[in-house]
Amino acid sequence: MKRSMVSVMILAAVLAFLYVPIILVVVYGFVPNGISMSFFGSDGSFLGFTGKWYRYIFTGHQSVRALLQSFWLSLIIAGLSTVASCAIGTTSALALHKWRGRLQSIHHALVYTPLIMPDILIGISLLMLFAACHVNCGFWTILIAHITFCVSYVAMTVLARLQDFDDRITEAAYDLGAGPWYAFFHVELPILLPGIVAGGLLAFTLSIDDVVITSFVNGAGTNTFPTYVSSMTKHSRNLPSVFALSTLMLVFTCVLVGLSKLITSKGQAKLKVKAS
Amino acid sequence: MNSEFLVFDHVTKRFGALTAVNDVSFSVKKGEFFSLLGPSGCGKTTLLRMLGGFEKPDSGRIYLEGRDITDLAPNERRVHTVFQNYALFPTMTIWDNIAFSLRLAKLPKKEIEEKVDAILDMIQMSEHAWKYPNQLSGGQKQRVAIARALVDRPKVLLLDEPLAALDLKLRQHMLLELDTIHDQVGITFMYVTHDQGEAMSLSDRIAVINRGRIEQLDGPAKIYEAPSSRFVASFIGDTNFFSGEIVAKDGDYCTIRPDGFPDIRAYNDKQLEVGQKVDLSVRPEKIRVTLAPPPPEKGASINVYPSTVQDIVYQGVYTKYWISSSGVRVAALKPHSRFLLDQEPITWNDKVFVWWHPDDGYMVESEK
Amino acid sequence: MSSPLRSRRAEWLVTAPSFLWLALFFAVPAVIVLAFTFHGHDISGGVGEWSLSTWRELVDPDYPAIIWNTIKISVEVTIWSIVLAVPCAYAIARMNPRWRAIVAGSIMLPFWTSFVVRVFAWKTMLHPDGWLQACCNLFSIGGGHSTILDSEAAVVLVSVYSFLPFAIMPLYTAAEKFDFSLLEAARDLGAKNFYAFRKIFLPGIRQGLVSAVLMVFIPAIGSYVIPQMLGGTNCVLIGNKIFMRAIQNRNIPHASALATVMAVSVLIPIGLAMWWKRRQDARDRQRLEAQTAKLFTAEGGAAK
Ligand SMILES: Nc1ncnc2c1ncn2[C@@H]1O[C@H](COP(=O)(O)OP(=O)(O)O)[C@@H](O)[C@H]1O
Ligand SMILES: [Mg+2]
Repeated sequence: MKRSMVSVMILAAVLAFLYVPIILVVVYGFVPNGISMSFFGSDGSFLGFTGKWYRYIFTGHQSVRALLQSFWLSLIIAGLSTVASCAIGTTSALALHKWRGRLQSIHHALVYTPLIMPDILIGISLLMLFAACHVNCGFWTILIAHITFCVSYVAMTVLARLQDFDDRITEAAYDLGAGPWYAFFHVELPILLPGIVAGGLLAFTLSIDDVVITSFVNGAGTNTFPTYVSSMTKHSRNLPSVFALSTLMLVFTCVLVGLSKLITSKGQAKLKVKAS
Repeated sequence: MNSEFLVFDHVTKRFGALTAVNDVSFSVKKGEFFSLLGPSGCGKTTLLRMLGGFEKPDSGRIYLEGRDITDLAPNERRVHTVFQNYALFPTMTIWDNIAFSLRLAKLPKKEIEEKVDAILDMIQMSEHAWKYPNQLSGGQKQRVAIARALVDRPKVLLLDEPLAALDLKLRQHMLLELDTIHDQVGITFMYVTHDQGEAMSLSDRIAVINRGRIEQLDGPAKIYEAPSSRFVASFIGDTNFFSGEIVAKDGDYCTIRPDGFPDIRAYNDKQLEVGQKVDLSVRPEKIRVTLAPPPPEKGASINVYPSTVQDIVYQGVYTKYWISSSGVRVAALKPHSRFLLDQEPITWNDKVFVWWHPDDGYMVESEK
Repeated sequence: MSSPLRSRRAEWLVTAPSFLWLALFFAVPAVIVLAFTFHGHDISGGVGEWSLSTWRELVDPDYPAIIWNTIKISVEVTIWSIVLAVPCAYAIARMNPRWRAIVAGSIMLPFWTSFVVRVFAWKTMLHPDGWLQACCNLFSIGGGHSTILDSEAAVVLVSVYSFLPFAIMPLYTAAEKFDFSLLEAARDLGAKNFYAFRKIFLPGIRQGLVSAVLMVFIPAIGSYVIPQMLGGTNCVLIGNKIFMRAIQNRNIPHASALATVMAVSVLIPIGLAMWWKRRQDARDRQRLEAQTAKLFTAEGGAAK
């Protein structure tokens, strides 16, 4: 069919378009000259690939120290905000699922609105809050900001899973003598865990990738990986090490996602409650 | 307070404008197999959920062994439920599912193992102990759900349409199994169903419920043979109704004059008076259909009506006849047996005689 | 329900963490922002007296141009994204399920590389020393001397690149549910391919279209990093202006006012989409009710 040929061609072009920068990131991680970002010398000769940027990263060379520092900070913030937003987001989803009333409709609006607002607005408004309270921006303000925008994503992910949850199962736990806490930790939580993990992964990705909100609330000198990168210019000597680090992250996440796919597909086969 | 084992005392439950359970009172004996039978939406589940502690009655009290349990939380009453969709814990193995209540009761490990293994043995699921619920078939899940609810020997076991999700064969099998389990454990069963066959074959007593009220509470045979109302008679099995007025009385019998049908003689067990409106229920299997008139030795007092065969439906065990008698459609059942067979088989549009003994009709007073 | 977790107190307990957190760090700051717009600017970097001067100043300098430019670029980006995403979604949905999963996954894969790094890669490519510029120069595209970097075109290009997957995903989800035999039926009835596509496929995925538009338009309006890194001084959008006013000039009232404008320009399309969806739902319900009513009367008639 001609029509679908056209669309397949557009799809192929779009995929190429999406992957060009990724390929570039990988390739430029091996560029010998960090200033000209070129594989060719001034005389036009091919200089070959180099692994020195990777060496710098693994040995903690002083030229990449600030980069690595920002990267660790990103990991710490992403880790902490994932844990916190998972806890808060899960309780939020539970509340939204269990009760219907005035309180919950306000609650729902509070959880939902951050999702439809450009993130720059969350950044500026938090900055205003911290300014109004005379709080010095730094690690803690970044953490608070990240938890704030992650909570909504976790809540919505868990809520989606709760929609398939059979309330009779909780009732069965009560019926057999469990109190609310026992029922929650032994029955509900294990069933919700895949949803919470999915929400947590989303939160981690968003947190580690965030540049807009962070650049409003990071104060001077506290840089996460994205804000550090965005402050670089093209002629910074460390650019190739950024690309090298990104390549490492890409490989790492690919492996991780591959593994988790394997585990969840197995887990899901176990957990799926067949409607019989 | 009350010497009876389980008592519902004027219990009412409303959902908004709807009264799901309307002033219901009854008591259940210890060890009894007690059924709540009624059409879907009549309030059976609501009754059961109030006993389980998931709903609170708007008024009335529930007593278990003389203790008022109306306000207790579900986890505070020794009453367990087998849910309609089983509600097994999907993240736990069968073994852990069954051990759930024992662990909560903080029994010693050894005792838990013994009890779980014993009940797994009883339901013949020992080899599936380490499977997860979604790896089981419907019937197996059903048995696990029952075992889970029985293992710590509750005072009452509640079963909400436990067989509804199973196919016919399995349902019949589980019916027998339920009966055996009840005999083995000696625990009071409270069984909810809309299927009169299930209720009939299992129960010691049945409460027939209609629109949130108990219409009749009796043993299965009594409910079938002597329904207390037109609703019960029509809900439990098939029946033919003749509505009319009593026009004559002679001893234990009376004559009813239905609208558009000849007079019928019937046994007047309630000693109703002339002039009273009644519904006469005649079960199809009590009606005989023959090509020849009934032999005179059957007595002069039987009801005989010349009629025409309209429809014949072969149903395996029986053949069902739809017969037009004075313009009224009457259903009659006839078992298949050489012995009962007429000389000539009855077919469509045959002129036949429909007849039954006055004792085979059962009168209920007309609802006003 | 008398089960323990259903009491009023339990509701408050479970709702409190997220409710309080978001009230404190989302709702309160939003109110503060709104309040600040009604204050004057204080030279020291703080907030001055109550006044309407901020809103008056907003009309005056180059703000309206920037706002207009932001909306224009966002619309451009949205159109490009949708135009590219619809055929992609169509193509993916028509693949066999195995391929579908693989291709849909590979649309999302670029997200596993940091957004800033990807934008930086574009910056490297578009830089006057980069190979893309070199290619352009070679074929004397763009007059040979003008650069792609630091232009509106670069911002649109990279924005489309960044937001395109957000457009493809909801469209693909909608297209997956679409009954493609309808297209065949239309062709069977003599419709031209493109006509069938336009008259049957597009209306069939309209829910997906609406969410795709929003998924691109909202981040485009709020865009800050892309114009910052690729637009230079030639393409300044509201996002950049907010950042400039808030961090560099410490003119908090102006930053707040711009943020308010941005919020409104996002809320309008969202409101429209919601209104439209509600109307569609109401229509569907009416149609359904009419049908069932018809069914019942037909049945009633048959029974008699
Ligand atoms: N939680 C509830 N809220 C509102 N109405 C309910 C609720 N539970 C049951 N009902 C209504 O109460 C009536 C009785 O329901 P139920 O006890 O489930 O009937 P049954 O189990 O006999 O089919 C039905 O009309 C049902 O719609
Ligand atoms: Mg029910």
